[in-house]
Amino acid sequence: MDLTFFLFLSSGLFLGWSLGANDASNIFGTAVGTKMVKFRTATIISSLFIILGAVYAGSGASQTLGHLGSINTLPGAFMAALAAAITIFWMVELSMPISTSQAIVGAIIGWNLFSSKPTDITILSQIVGTWIFCPILSGIIAVFIYWSIKSIIRKSHLHLIRQDCYTRIGLIIAGAFGAYALGANNIANVMGVFVEANPLKEIHFGSFFYLNSTQVLFFIGGVAISIGVGTYSKKVMDTIGNGIMKMSPLMAWVVVVSQSIVLFLFASQGLQHFLLSHDLPALPLVPVSSSQAVIGAVMGIGIAKGGHDLNWGLIAKIAIGWITTPIIAALICYVSLFFLQNVFGQVVYI
Amino acid sequence: MFHLNISIFSKTKSLENKIDLFHDKLLDAAMSFKKAVKVFLNEGRSDDYRKISKQIKQIEHDADNLRRDIENKLYSQNLIPDLRADVLQLVENLDRVINKFDEVAYMFFIEQPEIPQEYHNRINELCDQVAECAENMAKASRAFFRDLSSVRDYSQKVYFIEHETDLSSGNLRKSIFESDIPLANKMQLSSFINQIADIADIAEDFIDELLIFTIKRDI
Repeated sequence: MDLTFFLFLSSGLFLGWSLGANDASNIFGTAVGTKMVKFRTATIISSLFIILGAVYAGSGASQTLGHLGSINTLPGAFMAALAAAITIFWMVELSMPISTSQAIVGAIIGWNLFSSKPTDITILSQIVGTWIFCPILSGIIAVFIYWSIKSIIRKSHLHLIRQDCYTRIGLIIAGAFGAYALGANNIANVMGVFVEANPLKEIHFGSFFYLNSTQVLFFIGGVAISIGVGTYSKKVMDTIGNGIMKMSPLMAWVVVVSQSIVLFLFASQGLQHFLLSHDLPALPLVPVSSSQAVIGAVMGIGIAKGGHDLNWGLIAKIAIGWITTPIIAALICYVSLFFLQNVFGQVVYI
Repeated sequence: MFHLNISIFSKTKSLENKIDLFHDKLLDAAMSFKKAVKVFLNEGRSDDYRKISKQIKQIEHDADNLRRDIENKLYSQNLIPDLRADVLQLVENLDRVINKFDEVAYMFFIEQPEIPQEYHNRINELCDQVAECAENMAKASRAFFRDLSSVRDYSQKVYFIEHETDLSSGNLRKSIFESDIPLANKMQLSSFINQIADIADIAEDFIDELLIFTIKRDI
């Protein structure tokens, strides 16, 4: 395999690493922060299920990004991923709720503009609509789960100690599902731009089990995300568990499940086929922000509990992010592509 | 994995039983105390009284062991991390009431106060009230672990009975000081009544805390 491929892939791998470092905390943050689940357990489970989700269910959301703009050279894909990574770094510095999805979509549009390829407005509006819908849906699901679980606990007269035991098991199962959904939904952000220019070959393990070239690419991306989880997420998890959003383990479970369901809904091809085959409205398969899904869920529960006002400042920050993140990423990508093409002499589009 | 789950559930079950048993000890202490005072008033420091007093001491000793065991298990198995401090405080305060029952029963044993017959019924009534207060406190605490919606009902009963106890003890002390018995006896009886009424006060403080913990525990 060509070494230059991995050189160009490095920006995507870096993006994957940062996604793992940040977003794994949305899944296991409170569980680890409150010491309900050990960090090692959380890392092993999330790494395994992120890779599984990425390899087996990652293609749906990735195809949608492909329809938005199919970056057809490796240097172009490299720069799109790098522009997204720089944007994320910048947004973190500005303390904005980060979304890898929004940065990568902006970078793809930047590439479209640079290569004078048309941007499919229908797909774009579908994607942007999903971003807005994602936290709202997450909030609605969280309210529903919150009310259900509250009623179950009231009626079941479960002992506090037993409830703690079930919550612990629930957090691990929800974490595994969340990691699977995160891998399935967000691998498109990390590796989506490399799909068109992917030179990897399919791999056969015996006669029954094989990974096609995209799945091999997603596997590499999944490993990068897992390394991010293993190497850097502990700090973020401790912050989430003890600082910014202090939640009880049971609340954390509600938030993780709601967030995971939303990510899964926007990633599952199987569910989409099922809904369409039964003449039901299906959700588009779009990479969404797990952080914003979490914020949506927390706010949903806040409203359901009553007495909590909506945090309009945070909502404004998210809304500003929907606009500014893609624009900044598009600009960075456009300018960088110009340098990559004219200074470094790379072919950034065909 | 299956073995692991069985082990987790059996550990959980064992701790649940210990917490239940700890509450039983409080109920036992309350009932034994009521009985002990009745026996003391009728027979003084008789063999029967010694027996009941020993029983209370044993209940207090068992409760101490259970408390240590519960605290140890909560920490060593890293259970209920978000509510552990609250539960530890509750257990400590329940233990304080058991200790108080033992302390007062032992005071009767050591000091052997001379209590005029005319006050016997009212002292019995006061002891019934504090025992009922402690019983409802135990029920409220049990409900905190299993059935949050009942915590308020039992708490309300504790508040009501504590108020009744205040009135009873106040009236009793007033009539003691208005009587003709020597001042030393008056002082001693007053101190006993204060000690008995203190049990209801501790129960009231416990309920104040329990209601706050209940809000925290409600998801």
